Amino acid sequence: MADAATWNFRQLAHHELDGFGGIGEGMSIQVARDGRRILWLAHESAPKNFTAVDVSDPRAPKIVARADLPQSHMRSNSLETVGDIMAVAYQTKEQGLQPAGFELFDISVPENPRSITFFDCSGPHSRGVHQLWFADGEYIHMSSGAPDFTPTHPRDDQFYRIIDVKNPTKPVEVGRWWLPGTRQGDSEPPPVRHPEGADTGFRPHNTNVYPERPDRAYLGYIDGGMVILDISDKTRPKMVARWDYHPPYHGFTHTVVPFFDRKLFIVSDECVRTEGADWPKLVWIVDGRAEMNPVPISTCPLPPLDSYLRPGARYGAHNLYENLPKPNAWKSDRIVLATYFNGGLRAYDTSNPYQPAEVGYFVPAAPARAPGGAIQINDVFVDERQIVYTVDRHVGGLYTLEMDF
Amino acid sequence: MSEGSTRLRWTSELGPEALFGGKDATLFGRRQKRARGPRMPVLAVTGFLGSGKTTLIRALLGRPEGANTAVVVNEYGEVGIDNALLRSSSDITVLLGNGCVCCNIRSDLQETLRGLFADRARGAVPGFERVVIETSGLADPGPVLQTFATDRALGREFYLQALVTVVDAVAGEGNLRRMPEARKQVALADRIILTKTDLVEAAARTQLIEHIASLNTAPLGIAVAGEIEPSFLLEEAPSRSRSAGLGGPEHTHGLYSFALTFEKPLRWPGFEQTMAVLQALRGPDLLRVKGLLAVEECRGPVVVHFVQHVAHPPIELEEWPDDDRRSRIVFVTQGLPREPVMQLFAGVSAIAATGCA
Repeated sequence: MADAATWNFRQLAHHELDGFGGIGEGMSIQVARDGRRILWLAHESAPKNFTAVDVSDPRAPKIVARADLPQSHMRSNSLETVGDIMAVAYQTKEQGLQPAGFELFDISVPENPRSITFFDCSGPHSRGVHQLWFADGEYIHMSSGAPDFTPTHPRDDQFYRIIDVKNPTKPVEVGRWWLPGTRQGDSEPPPVRHPEGADTGFRPHNTNVYPERPDRAYLGYIDGGMVILDISDKTRPKMVARWDYHPPYHGFTHTVVPFFDRKLFIVSDECVRTEGADWPKLVWIVDGRAEMNPVPISTCPLPPLDSYLRPGARYGAHNLYENLPKPNAWKSDRIVLATYFNGGLRAYDTSNPYQPAEVGYFVPAAPARAPGGAIQINDVFVDERQIVYTVDRHVGGLYTLEMDF
Repeated sequence: MSEGSTRLRWTSELGPEALFGGKDATLFGRRQKRARGPRMPVLAVTGFLGSGKTTLIRALLGRPEGANTAVVVNEYGEVGIDNALLRSSSDITVLLGNGCVCCNIRSDLQETLRGLFADRARGAVPGFERVVIETSGLADPGPVLQTFATDRALGREFYLQALVTVVDAVAGEGNLRRMPEARKQVALADRIILTKTDLVEAAARTQLIEHIASLNTAPLGIAVAGEIEPSFLLEEAPSRSRSAGLGGPEHTHGLYSFALTFEKPLRWPGFEQTMAVLQALRGPDLLRVKGLLAVEECRGPVVVHFVQHVAHPPIELEEWPDDDRRSRIVFVTQGLPREPVMQLFAGVSAIAATGCA
């Protein structure tokens, strides 16, 4: 069993974030007005909300700001910045709790994030926002509940919502979409549930929208597979395609990243169970030449299950680097960077998409206080300097790396 | 590809790049920062029995730069003495069976390296960063070069960064005169290391160096008790070093070493067909061909490497290593001199140019 293994990544620094090194799925770079490069990180769970790290020198990251959550029954998990505005997702542990929604901050002075507004998504059947996408400064695309949304099944409590934040003091919902049959009152029948224990809900996880196709939203729809929406009319999103590979696979489609020019989709699952109970959780390469009929053509190769299996820990796919359409984010339509919890961060060359080739991996040693004695690499971001930032889910904090492939 | 076919080997209208390459489609896949791409670097150390290969490797392993090296030893003899010597220096030392690496145990080498690679990926062995292969003294380096040339063997995971030939100053001159294997080891090397120079007179040393230079102008270093600057062994050879100013006679005992340079960018089909003709007619005599090409269809320079009938998959680099944008190709051949090769290139190029409608 592997403790640590690195190939073609060079570690520049490791920062455990002063004892609060559990990071979720929000990683966003802001170049501050004074030129400093600030990496904003959303925490995986309470008590911390977010942490801002000055990574101008990636060899010496420094914490510059940190915020606590107002309640212990909530988590932030996801955030994004555009210029000096930061959006932070708030999700509660149970439906009906508050605060559930998202908060906008003015981060023009990174040391002193100031709240601009809170957009309330709470309701009797809502846990608020799990994930949000905010790239153009105008719209937030998110996976959220709402006060007026009653799901046909309690696990389908989140859906796709588009919020206009052009006036950040007054966000307004402009459109929404949910898988037909998941809202009470739908004429369609509810979807067939996944087996108990593997039923993680028909709801979106990541909701990506890119300037190359402003009329499309690419959704990882958890137990519903991959969904492509036509959002040319944001008030009425329409489904263009859906690729659902469950069963036999175990659900939890997480992220869809289009490689537009190459007509490929990179699709990740999330491993959500320990001891390999939902193995294999994969990164899929999907032929997108015919948009209405996405065809999976390969998966990224992984070391065998017993290589990285640890009691109490996850080993399988999770987040992808998403080619964020922002000036301070790296872009590649050849390299896939994916996080695999105990399998670390792994890099693949998709030049031949039928045979993606592993070109690097970074599996750090388990942090000293890691639960189960395992690293759980959770998310990854790459800036335009090609500095890679990757984070541990529980205690390990932030690792800065260079790619050497 | 069968010989005589007109279809090009590396580029195909039916390949994945044609389907999924997009606007930035390349001929040879993702452009790489360096010729080895993401592959594991391999140093193959060759040299006659007693020339000092083990001492050289031990010295390298003793330096900080030599840490995280896996060593594969090929023994020719019943008792694994070299293996025992190296075992204390490296975390991973594998002894190949009784035999010569160029003959009966080539598949053992492949299996061993594949196994090491897989074990490394799953954390079963320490995370080594390079492999050093000590070949037996009698080994012909050609088959070792071939082993790393194709995806079917080891070329997908491993990259032969340098073939290092150790020549001992005492016995070297005699070996070079008498033994064809010794001449071949020197002719094919990317680096040549002279040992035991303190045991011979200056005149003898000079004569040996001149003899070596007549076979190969690769960088030559002198090791004292096996010690040599690690960067001399470990850094990837700059692509132009071997093409610069080949001096002296271009052949010895039927071995030819020469360079071709081309001022204008080459068209890939013409280059590929020229090499196909050379391989078809004289494959066994193309001991080693290395080149850095300016190709019309490519943005970056293309690294090519041929060993007899085997061709490495070409690699397009992101950038040129220096300001020289000319194509340069170095040939080491058995009995094939420069002139007809040059004429073949010129002829194919002229025919291709007139064929353009």
